Amino acid sequence: MKPQEPIPHNYSMKTLNGIFLWTSVGLLAGTLVMVMYDYVRGWKWFQREFNRIQQERIEQELTAKNDAEMRKRLAELDREMREGQVEIARNREAYIEAQRDLDKWEGRHYAADQDYRFAKAVLDAKRYEFEAAMVQHRRDLREKEHEYNEHTAKVGRLNLVLQDVTRSRDAARARVDEFLTRIKELENRRKELTAGSDLLNKQLRNVAVASVPNLLLNAPMLDFINPTLKIDQVVLSDLFIDMNYMSVPRVDRCMTCHRAIDRPGFESKREAERLAEQLQTQLDRNLVLPARRAETEERVAELRRIVDAKTELMNPFRTHPKLDVFVGSSSPHPLLEYGCTVCHRGQDRATEFGRAGHTPMSRRMEMRWEKTSPFFPTKGDYEKRNWGYQVNPFLETPMYPRQHFEAGCLKCHATQMEVRDGERINKAAHMVELYGCHACHKIDNWRFTDLQKPGPSLEGIAEKTNPAWTFRWIANPTHFRPTTRMPSFFYQRNMTGPAVPEAERAQNVRYQDAEVHSIVAYLFDKSTHRNWSAPASGGDAARGKQLVDTIGCMGCHIAQDTIKDAKTGAVRVAKRDDFPLERHFGFNLTGVGSKTNPNWIFNWVKNPKAYDPFAPMPSLRLSDQEASDITAYLMSLQKQRFMQEPIRPPLRKAVHDLAKGYLINTMSDVDADAKLKAMSDREQLVYLGQRSIEKYGCYSCHDIKGFDGLKPIGTELTTEGSKTLHLFDFGFFGTSTHTHDYKHEDGKKEYVLHNVPSWIYNKVRSPRVYDDRRTKPYNDKLKMPNFNLSPDEAQLVSSVILGLTKEKVAENRLAARDPGMRAVEEGRKIISQRNCRGCHVVNRNGRAIAALITDTNFLPPDLTPQGERSQSPWLFNFLKDPTVMKIRPWLSVRMPTFGFTDQEAATLVAGFAAEGDEPQFDTHRFATPSQQNVAIGREVYTMLRCAQCHSTAPVDPANPPVPNVADTTSLAPNLTLSKLRLRHDWIADWIRRPGEMVPDTRMPANFPRDPQTGGFQSPLANAIDTPQFAGHRAVLRPYFESDEALRKTMADAVALTNYLRDYIWSIGLDQMRAARPGSEGPAPVPAPRQPPAPAVQTGDRGGQAILPVPARQAGLPVLHK
Amino acid sequence: MPHRKYLALLFALLLAVACGGGKEVVDEADLGEDDGAPKATETAAGDTAAPAAAATAVVADAATLNGLVKFEAAAPPKMPALQMGADPYCASQHPTPALDEEVVVGPAGELANVIVYVKNAPATPAPSTPALLDQQGCKYIPHVSAVQAGQKIQIRNSDATLHNVHAMPEVNRAFNVGQPVQGMVSDQKFDKVEMTPFRIKCDVHGWMKSYMVVLPHSYHSVSQMNGTFSIANLPPGNYTLVAWHEKYGQQEQAVTVGPKESKQVSFTFKG
Repeated sequence: MKPQEPIPHNYSMKTLNGIFLWTSVGLLAGTLVMVMYDYVRGWKWFQREFNRIQQERIEQELTAKNDAEMRKRLAELDREMREGQVEIARNREAYIEAQRDLDKWEGRHYAADQDYRFAKAVLDAKRYEFEAAMVQHRRDLREKEHEYNEHTAKVGRLNLVLQDVTRSRDAARARVDEFLTRIKELENRRKELTAGSDLLNKQLRNVAVASVPNLLLNAPMLDFINPTLKIDQVVLSDLFIDMNYMSVPRVDRCMTCHRAIDRPGFESKREAERLAEQLQTQLDRNLVLPARRAETEERVAELRRIVDAKTELMNPFRTHPKLDVFVGSSSPHPLLEYGCTVCHRGQDRATEFGRAGHTPMSRRMEMRWEKTSPFFPTKGDYEKRNWGYQVNPFLETPMYPRQHFEAGCLKCHATQMEVRDGERINKAAHMVELYGCHACHKIDNWRFTDLQKPGPSLEGIAEKTNPAWTFRWIANPTHFRPTTRMPSFFYQRNMTGPAVPEAERAQNVRYQDAEVHSIVAYLFDKSTHRNWSAPASGGDAARGKQLVDTIGCMGCHIAQDTIKDAKTGAVRVAKRDDFPLERHFGFNLTGVGSKTNPNWIFNWVKNPKAYDPFAPMPSLRLSDQEASDITAYLMSLQKQRFMQEPIRPPLRKAVHDLAKGYLINTMSDVDADAKLKAMSDREQLVYLGQRSIEKYGCYSCHDIKGFDGLKPIGTELTTEGSKTLHLFDFGFFGTSTHTHDYKHEDGKKEYVLHNVPSWIYNKVRSPRVYDDRRTKPYNDKLKMPNFNLSPDEAQLVSSVILGLTKEKVAENRLAARDPGMRAVEEGRKIISQRNCRGCHVVNRNGRAIAALITDTNFLPPDLTPQGERSQSPWLFNFLKDPTVMKIRPWLSVRMPTFGFTDQEAATLVAGFAAEGDEPQFDTHRFATPSQQNVAIGREVYTMLRCAQCHSTAPVDPANPPVPNVADTTSLAPNLTLSKLRLRHDWIADWIRRPGEMVPDTRMPANFPRDPQTGGFQSPLANAIDTPQFAGHRAVLRPYFESDEALRKTMADAVALTNYLRDYIWSIGLDQMRAARPGSEGPAPVPAPRQPPAPAVQTGDRGGQAILPVPARQAGLPVLHK
Repeated sequence: MPHRKYLALLFALLLAVACGGGKEVVDEADLGEDDGAPKATETAAGDTAAPAAAATAVVADAATLNGLVKFEAAAPPKMPALQMGADPYCASQHPTPALDEEVVVGPAGELANVIVYVKNAPATPAPSTPALLDQQGCKYIPHVSAVQAGQKIQIRNSDATLHNVHAMPEVNRAFNVGQPVQGMVSDQKFDKVEMTPFRIKCDVHGWMKSYMVVLPHSYHSVSQMNGTFSIANLPPGNYTLVAWHEKYGQQEQAVTVGPKESKQVSFTFKG
């Protein structure tokens, strides 16, 4: 054929082909890149890596399983099986015959069965027809009936045939089976033997990284069908996350990379060691159920292997610590119900490191995280943990960094005083309460509301101390007491720090001086001036010291500035952390003599409520002599050096300038000048004092006259943890002009990372640091005081702040919701506010005073079982007035009179009862034991020699005899007091297991547990028949039917302790004195006194700046020009 | 179109894989694993044999340490008489008042009640014979003792009065058992090694104290009234010998013993 004439075009085919070619190549490449981009995901590496780890483990386990012994047994089985097969081969003919026969019968059986079934179906139809004909009175009724009967007979026949055939078939099958039994049995045995390995092999198949099917399943474009690498998630339908103004259920995908998070066996070494230790202790103490013993032992061995392993797993592959508390399926926070982000925060749906919101805990970690390879992260990056991290400013809830993990607890547990197993967050919350963050910063949740002010009332400051001390104290609290809770407001880094320019610094010093003086002037001006009586008699300081050390003052106070280092043994300056928080409840007593006067101390220690009705200090019911002795001792605690620190007098110009600065906010310059002119120097100072107290918010922590009802000074912290990054002022930190670090006043280097936790931490650690390098007017500078917190303390406090979020959780997720738990928590709040743990153990925690009492016999009682132990009416009475009963007259520590209101005492009582899971009132309060039980109980009491330590002589509950060292009956409580005090059933329980309720009790276990069965053993079991007890036996015998019955009872710990209880109940007193109202002791009536005339002089020293005035100047400040 | 055919094939293959076609492949691999010809797993047998052999070897050329603990002071501290008046039974057991046993010094300045043990010796199995802690005349006998971890300890009350045995270890489990019946024996043991001696006290009789240390091995001794002690069956080697006294604290001494050597050592505590 002739080639077609080319049609003329206006385009070149060749060029077009070229364009098409290149665009298709381009499109293809684009598609490939898209596929690639979609395919290469960070999380896949983690899954592959984790699979590899698992594969390694499974292979190891398989090797271990497939040991020589196993191989031998398998080989044995195989040999037998071969023998069996040979056997069959030998009888080949017969076997084939039997098999053929079976086949034949199988066929017949099938046919007979089918015939029978069909006939049955037809019979059903026939029955219906017959029934219908009967009901409709049809004419063919007879016919139908006949048909039905005939069919019934047919079905019967067919059934017989079927049974026949079945029998024959079974016989044929049995014949065939005869040949196969042996082989089948061998096969089963083999299966049993390899069950473990089969399971492992199955697992191996899933995780094998390089297996062909898995490679195919996970290949690009094919992985939509059933990949083994896939995103894992937990949908939490009732836990919400705030996304763009909308609450949506959380979908946590963290386990996509954190593969082993809920799987034991992948612990870190530290966690493994802790767990192994814990489980081993449980094993040693026989606390593991016999059925679970083997399992537990295996687990301990596994953990020990982890500890001994050469390498450690890196983090995304580790098991969550404390699986029994978190994540584990039987823990209170199972993974499927709580997920991860509800506690840790972070972006729930994210599967990339950066998007998930991981937050570094330190600058070092941040720098390591920041690194990455260009384009795609490589395997090496992952192994070195170079995640390519960068701050994501748009993420509202980045994760808590590691040191603040426990902040997440507060989301649900801020309804509790303490979280179980949350030592750190509990300490942190206690610190916030003690240091009084809540006083300046409103924190609107149950935990931090209705708390007392952290500082003492200043309304009577002039009665207590003098202006010279007060000035030095406000200026530099830590100079007086290094461990004080009072923060430093003045002469801080943004005022007089080394970075402040010279000229400004001098000016700031003058201003700060003026402010301190003005505050002192205001406080003393407004103070009451009551006359406190002098100590009743001359005091003996040595005796006073002994009292302070022994009667319980040290549960709340410290009286030392130095401490012997536990490690080096050298004496060094004490730090706050050297003492339990409870002992910071009261102030450090050192130097108190320099601060106060004998009259005030005497009256204060006798009755703190007379000075300040809301004083947290309780009364220890001191006699006049004791109070005098203590006064003498406390007055001997002097700090001369501190009192010699120079005081710079306030400069008139500084006072004037500052006062005017406040005035011109509301009036014109001229008016302000005129107003100031009309004021005396003293008036100006007092005016400035008022404004300064307002400025610094002193009234938030202290009661100060004239500041009632003012709002707290600080930013509200209720939802501070949810504030987004851009709302925080980092000053010049992290900008190009300044690096990330600064030098803290205590010399340590600190880092400011660009994230919220770091900002808060540094704010708490060095509150003025964000003023560094900034130029601000004097009054605009940051004013938050410096609490001089150590890095660890600052971390704790910032954890709490981070935990305060606006994320709401459903009501049913909040901790401690039910009324019983609420009662416990309300009680615990009072326990914390009154610092009961200074002396007592509550819920296995506390007793700060123990450090000073070496002999455990003289420790105040452990209140852990208090609810189960005591009767509510007694406890109420005792809390209101501890003098109603002296239970342990040998203790030198005194239960103080707290002056609880009825409401407070009732709350405490209800809390204890709820904690012990007991009803408010003992239902057996009025039980009357039978004469017989009492008589048996008395005999048992004698046999067990209880009288060796317990007295049964009736006493006055309020005044039991003073313990006599030459008599062991003073070692334990008088038992006649038990009926008033103890719950009926608790008595027997206590006798059975004292050490389990109170670990360090003196009360011995008279019925020790059998180490094997865990049951109680009776010491009288065999002893009753010995001549030693012949007399007792004779007394007891009439109460029992037979010798056997007597013997049986004597071996029965529960019966014996119940008899003992009945005896103790029978001798109990029924009456005790009611609590006296106002039993804090006689309230002195201080006579009002004229305030001394303000002795303000106006010095005139020309422009001379700051001059030291003579030390120990006790008068009011002198103004200088 | 041939392409479509390939695509269909590929798809079929894919389905096969997805629906478990891969099973067979892996099964074969499994079988291979199971049949696994002998691999390099010559395990425990050889390893356990070695120490056993070593242990027998040790006894053969074991050394013995004999020693003396002396006390140096101007005059040995005078111990106060125990005030047992609180319990008449106890007082009646001692016609002449019993002395506090905190420091017991022999006539020639020998110090008794010093626990001497080897600090770094290998562990030995716990002996089957129990250790006895007796309470007699309201005193603990012995006043100080060393036991082995896991060794049974029989605590006996030989007095016709109530004693409670309140052991206060730090590492081991503490216990507080009452013994109201004369002749009663309570079986206890400490599972863990506790090298710092801890107190065992009786809360009824404030003066009763005993100290105990729990060791991993049997190389320990307590100095007698004549100040002597003896540690036998010690395998040759370099050791640190520790002597502990309730009041005068702890001393250490390095010793080297050769096979079958009988070595003399001495400790001196200064008052």
